[in-house]
Amino acid sequence: MLRPVLWIHDEALGPTNPSLVAHREAPALFVFDRELIETQRLSLKRLGFLYESLLELPVTLRHGDVAQEVLSFASRHGADGVVTSAGVDPRFGLLREQIAAHLPVQVLEPEPFVVLPEPVDLRRFSRYWRRAEPVLWGRGSAAAPPAPARLWDR
Amino acid sequence: MQWAGALRMQSVDSLLPGDLPRQFANRDEMAAILRQLFPEAPGGLSPMQGGRRAAEKALAGIDPAAYGRNRNHLGGAVTRLSPHIRHGVLSLVEVREAVFDWLERSKQPKAAAQKLISELGWRDYWQRLWRQLGDGIWRDQEPLKTGHSSASYAAELPADLLSAHTGLACMDGFASELILTGWLHNHARMWLAAYVVHWRRIQWQVGARWFLQHLLDGDPASNNLSWQWVASSFSSKPYVFNRENLERFSSGRFCRDCALAGAGCPFEASYEQLQADLFPGAGPC
Ligand SMILES: Cc1cc2nc3c(=O)[nH]c(=O)nc-3n(C[C@H](O)[C@H](O)[C@H](O)COP(=O)(O)OP(=O)(O)OC[C@H]3O[C@@H](n4cnc5c(N)ncnc54)[C@H](O)[C@@H]3O)c2cc1C
Repeated sequence: MLRPVLWIHDEALGPTNPSLVAHREAPALFVFDRELIETQRLSLKRLGFLYESLLELPVTLRHGDVAQEVLSFASRHGADGVVTSAGVDPRFGLLREQIAAHLPVQVLEPEPFVVLPEPVDLRRFSRYWRRAEPVLWGRGSAAAPPAPARLWDR
Repeated sequence: MQWAGALRMQSVDSLLPGDLPRQFANRDEMAAILRQLFPEAPGGLSPMQGGRRAAEKALAGIDPAAYGRNRNHLGGAVTRLSPHIRHGVLSLVEVREAVFDWLERSKQPKAAAQKLISELGWRDYWQRLWRQLGDGIWRDQEPLKTGHSSASYAAELPADLLSAHTGLACMDGFASELILTGWLHNHARMWLAAYVVHWRRIQWQVGARWFLQHLLDGDPASNNLSWQWVASSFSSKPYVFNRENLERFSSGRFCRDCALAGAGCPFEASYEQLQADLFPGAGPC
């Protein structure tokens, strides 16, 4: 992608947004998702808070159908693709697919809070925390979790 | 003084038709314009302001040691970072690092920051679950342990709750704060959710949707899964509280002026009594 635009969504409105970090000069867009706002009956407080957060980011703001708006923003800037940051909300995946039907979309992962050495059972917090806490506090010190067994340990 | 929002104008190319405005003389003007842009969205602005500056200010003010001691108290040293974290204005990594920096600066033992770090862990945990469950977070993760069938819970919020006129000073206080400010202390969220689900016998999804309309930090994962935890579809027993607990962690601020404080408070009971009254068919926990 040589001339991307950035699609900024509501999970990453800060300077650590990896798409903003990777493409400082690229035009960026945030779209207020009309369908979501209407169906969830979101209050003005929530939209106002978002709006104020967005005023401190270098982004163009629009309101409407997200995929359509992103695509027309891309054509307004003669872009050959869209770069965005990973979102957890399943709606993000849906919108990403709608956009990707027309233009290449690159999704950048933000830095994770904690990297777990192996998949954990998420049925209870305690099981997750038993794995996550030592990694968080370890930071290379004595509290680090035991290193995974190497071949010659066996 | 000129309002900061006007000064923050960044190098965004000039507005085309349909681009939303980025400059306002003050917050009232912004509210008026937002009302025109989003006529479908009810209410006014929250006193809590959005933006990286507000977020950094809140982050600079954290006190992890005090947090560890009194976070369950309504007046405790909670951070109020949730709306900024929810929208990635601050990343969880930045908050984690700020806590570790505080620990280094303050020369306190690790234990002083352990509680706050583990609460950040809750946020990460719910997000991981959301990734795994997708829209499944709207469905019961396990059967309810209340002895009542899911079908016996109401599908709508009653008008007295929506208008904060239940007559219970605590619940009306929480509902008004939710509607006016879009933020509630964690303990208030637990009490209000428990009241909605267990005392009013309303589906947790209905309460969860109500919260998401208003909470500035409204996040389907943290919200729905916490509601499920209260309801007992994501825990081993339903969460309930009694008056003594609420009075203690709110310094009595609601009970003092409550018309029902003398007689008729539905929370005035022992846990055994509440268990028997609310969940008669549940069997021993
Ligand atoms: C019924 C109910 C609904 C909730 N809905 C939401 C929601 O929509 N969005 C949301 O972010 N939190 C939700 N929570 C969790 C919690 O109440 C809030 O995150 C917390 O009260 C926010 O205030 P704070 O920033 O001062 O938190 P602090 O106690 O200062 O904690 C610091 C940060 O850690 C995270 N955190 C703390 N406690 C929790 C928790 N229990 N679960 C997840 N993250 C946590 C938040 O990001 C928070 O900003 C809900 C809890 C309940 C019981």
